[in-house]
Amino acid sequence: MSDGAELRQKIKEVMVEELMLDFEAEEIGDETPIFGAEGLGLDSVDALQLVVAIEKHFGLKVGDAEKAKEILQSVETIARAIEAEA
Amino acid sequence: MAACNAGGPGKDSAVRSILITGGNGGLGLGIGRYFLEKDAGARVWLGVRSRRDAAEALAAESGERCRLVELEVTSREAWESAVAKILESDGRLDVLVNNAGMHRDALLATMEDEAWSSVISSNLDSVFLGCRAVIRAMMGNRFGRIINIASLSAVLPPAGQTNYAAAKAGVVALTQTLAKEVGRAGITVNALLPGYIETEALSHMDEEAAKRARAGIPMRRFGRPEEVAAAVWFLACQDAGYVTGSAIKIDGGIF
Repeated sequence: MSDGAELRQKIKEVMVEELMLDFEAEEIGDETPIFGAEGLGLDSVDALQLVVAIEKHFGLKVGDAEKAKEILQSVETIARAIEAEA
Repeated sequence: MAACNAGGPGKDSAVRSILITGGNGGLGLGIGRYFLEKDAGARVWLGVRSRRDAAEALAAESGERCRLVELEVTSREAWESAVAKILESDGRLDVLVNNAGMHRDALLATMEDEAWSSVISSNLDSVFLGCRAVIRAMMGNRFGRIINIASLSAVLPPAGQTNYAAAKAGVVALTQTLAKEVGRAGITVNALLPGYIETEALSHMDEEAAKRARAGIPMRRFGRPEEVAAAVWFLACQDAGYVTGSAIKIDGGIF
């Protein structure tokens, strides 16, 4: 697995574990929308938890709400933000 | 004594960190003492402001297990600084007991603006600021216990306490709402509603008034700080993990 694929897999695992999601990491696509009925269906409470989890596991601080909206679109957007900070 | 296992993941860590606001008051001290006696692994932080003599005495007799932290509960900066200090020291904050508060009773018709705003601020704003200051650290730990000391006045207010009763009812509503927001992060949020408790808050009462008050309590006595502390202890325990959004009266059966 390449570094990029490994990072994306790790993000999915963190999401499933920290948000106690009722599905497997493998069921989440890189581009699957995190919010909304057509995606994972997470809500604002999950979003806050995800922000905390991303900082804890990947050291990426998501400061304001605007930045959070931009980053928390999919596993892919989260991975890119982490890669940009690295 | 058995530990209450307040700690969640990493609960075997030597330190369980507990912050109690109003740490120089009778109830705050009673809660702190209770944790120190019951749990050898507890580190109790007593939030203090100007008065701190009694808190200093408890810290002196408890060594490293009890510390004071400067905390003006109505200040966002003070909260941030206190929480940062605790996290720097212990690496975690497991339990927050929002106990600080005050009342300035008056009939509404004659209540001064300042009596209203200061009571709302010290009893309700303080709880909001405290919860907000600790919530991310608790979420990161996937464990937390927030216990808000409201008052029986929240549900059974006497005349003369519109400010205090409104603030404490607000604390109960905040508790119930926040419980829904953070439950899935392993954080519980509960409120306690003490009635008459033997603290300095009752010291202004003359013997005649105290007699009348006791007569209205089915238990025929005032409560003791440790009886409130016992409920705080229970709610802080790992085993109380399914109790959240509750408002528990500790009033000798008045209601």
